[in-house]
Amino acid sequence: MVDLSMDVFGVEFQNPVMLASGTCGYGEEYADLIAVDELGGIVTKAVTPEARAGNPPVRITETPGGMINAIGLANVGLEGFKREKLPWLRDNLRRAHVLVNVAGWSVDDFVKVVAGLDEQDGFLGYEINVSCPNVEGGTMFGTDELALAQLVGALRAATQRPLVIKLTPNVADIGLFAQICEDNGADGLSAINTFPGMVIDVEARRPVIGNVTGGISGPAIRPMGVYATWKVASRVELPVIGIGGICNARDTLEYILAGAALVQIGTAMFVDPYTAPETIEGLREICARQGVDKLAHLVGALEA
Amino acid sequence: MRAQQIFRAWSPVRARQQVAEDTYWLELEAAEIAAAAAPGQFVMVGFGMRGWGVPFLPRPNSVAAVLGERIGLLIRVFGGGSRRLAGLRPEDEVLLLGPLGTRFQLGGAKAVLCVAGGVGLAPFLLLPRWEPLKRSGAEVRLLYGERGAAAVFDPDKIRELTGLDPEIWTEDGSLGRQGRVTAGLDLKGVDLVLACGPPPMLKAVRALALEAGVPCQLAVEEHMACGVGTCIGCAIETVDPETGEAGYSLVCSDGPVFAAERLRW
Ligand SMILES: Cc1cc2nc3c(=O)[nH]c(=O)nc-3n(C[C@H](O)[C@H](O)[C@H](O)COP(=O)(O)OP(=O)(O)OC[C@H]3O[C@@H](n4cnc5c(N)ncnc54)[C@H](O)[C@@H]3O)c2cc1C
Ligand SMILES: Cc1cc2nc3c(=O)[nH]c(=O)nc-3n(C[C@H](O)[C@H](O)[C@H](O)COP(=O)(O)O)c2cc1C
Ligand code: FES
Repeated sequence: MVDLSMDVFGVEFQNPVMLASGTCGYGEEYADLIAVDELGGIVTKAVTPEARAGNPPVRITETPGGMINAIGLANVGLEGFKREKLPWLRDNLRRAHVLVNVAGWSVDDFVKVVAGLDEQDGFLGYEINVSCPNVEGGTMFGTDELALAQLVGALRAATQRPLVIKLTPNVADIGLFAQICEDNGADGLSAINTFPGMVIDVEARRPVIGNVTGGISGPAIRPMGVYATWKVASRVELPVIGIGGICNARDTLEYILAGAALVQIGTAMFVDPYTAPETIEGLREICARQGVDKLAHLVGALEA
Repeated sequence: MRAQQIFRAWSPVRARQQVAEDTYWLELEAAEIAAAAAPGQFVMVGFGMRGWGVPFLPRPNSVAAVLGERIGLLIRVFGGGSRRLAGLRPEDEVLLLGPLGTRFQLGGAKAVLCVAGGVGLAPFLLLPRWEPLKRSGAEVRLLYGERGAAAVFDPDKIRELTGLDPEIWTEDGSLGRQGRVTAGLDLKGVDLVLACGPPPMLKAVRALALEAGVPCQLAVEEHMACGVGTCIGCAIETVDPETGEAGYSLVCSDGPVFAAERLRW
């Protein structure tokens, strides 16, 4: 029997496969299609201090090997999350770990959400979204060294729970930003969020996306995600969650070899909700074939 | 948990036929979806992780028929995704997710007017499967508009599938009456209007129905990724009828069928 478990953030993940923020709602939306509790975990849609309606349509469209989205962090807000979403997570997920994705526009916004949730049950820790390209100022923290240091420090002071910072690939040296997070007390790093992009309707001479620009995700960005993961893992000691275009077990292993201890699947879940369970199955098969008895041994095992 | 179970299944193509200009009829074997689908509902049709390219994301398509364990789809070629679906061959397999979304609501209506524009005909072909309609014995009329005769889905086939005699309108007058289908909208005696088609048509139907005070439901379209309410991508502007508050609803799960007054058009 192959052991897929990973020890990260002081707990055991039964396998490394999580669902990415914004692609699995708050877990419940996939509960009648897949066994969510069999996954390594899930990351919720971003939670902001107040509820947000989001961007005007069109919010999504297909792009080569992926999609572009500009949802605009539509979400139920801190109180809505506590009241309507957290109880399901608490009552239904016993083994899968939950990270709450947090977004905001000021240090206070982020701290407000974290402080407002910290006493609650039903989740393990936070994934801090300093990298959303779809709202005004959404990547400010993720691309500004001083602002990021200050934010991570403030959040560290606000919680003892695992604090994961989700990095944007939209910087010259992602390793530097990972280092800043490590130096200021973060517990882990997620890499990566979407790449900014645009699609134009040449007949209408207008952008297809209501927000004009959006974030590109899906297999089209996988090599960039693997690269970012490798850069981050080479730079810091913190565990890395690899994200970007993962569609199956082989893709997952690319990230693990590059240094990720966990991964997240996003866009591929829209193509087939069985992608995550089938990825876990596939990891078992590949490890068995390669004679790997513990998947954790492959983390960062890239020979280069 | 949802009110209705969603099924995910690899489904073999059992029949495929061109039925009009750029328009194809597909029959897919999907017993569970066939057993559960109701008019207005749709399926996401894709290729999973087996053979994606274009399309990458699955495409929403209305359930247009239930034929035993098969569902029928009426597909008009629009871009790369619908072209691939239209070009499927028997024994090819597609990944289906469904049935999805809301259905038309009959309420106590006794005289129903259905207005279809283009492949907006699809949900109305499923009317014989509408249990409330069967029980109520309400009277149904079907108006069906197309750009020209070449695009019209065979009226005999419509009769065979629905038992209804479609009243056909073409913009160029090459078949049926000439003009937009909305020109033929006589709401006298009608106590429910159902419409599906391009947005300009839906807006016109909506305006006429609201003016006449006749309840009206519209099946609308928006770009989709997940089809099940997780991506929040298929938003459409709506107003809360109780509070009058403007906001967004999700076409895949709050819709695709909306009461006309809920849409902020
Ligand atoms: C609930 C619902 C039911 C539908 N039922 C039918 C049907 O029965 N028969 C039929 O022929 N068509 C139907 N459509 C429209 C069909 O989904 C689009 O024609 C199709 O997605 C276009 O994809 P494409 O790759 O051919 O076009 P492209 O323009 O190449 O697609 C690019 C992107 O835009 C999206 N897109 C473009 N137009 C539409 C549209 N009108 N609606 C939704 N997404 C769009 C595509 O999904 C894709 O992500 C339905 C749409 C919805 C939302
Ligand atoms: C529709 C959609 C919504 C998203 N919403 C969020 C979000 O709320 N917070 C966040 O940190 N990332 C969000 N993301 C980014 C994903 O979590 C992920 O980082 C990105 O999509 C790359 O992974 P993928 O290629 O597997 O999708 C979203 C992505 C998509 C496609
Ligand atoms: S298509 Fe994803 S929420 Fe509607």
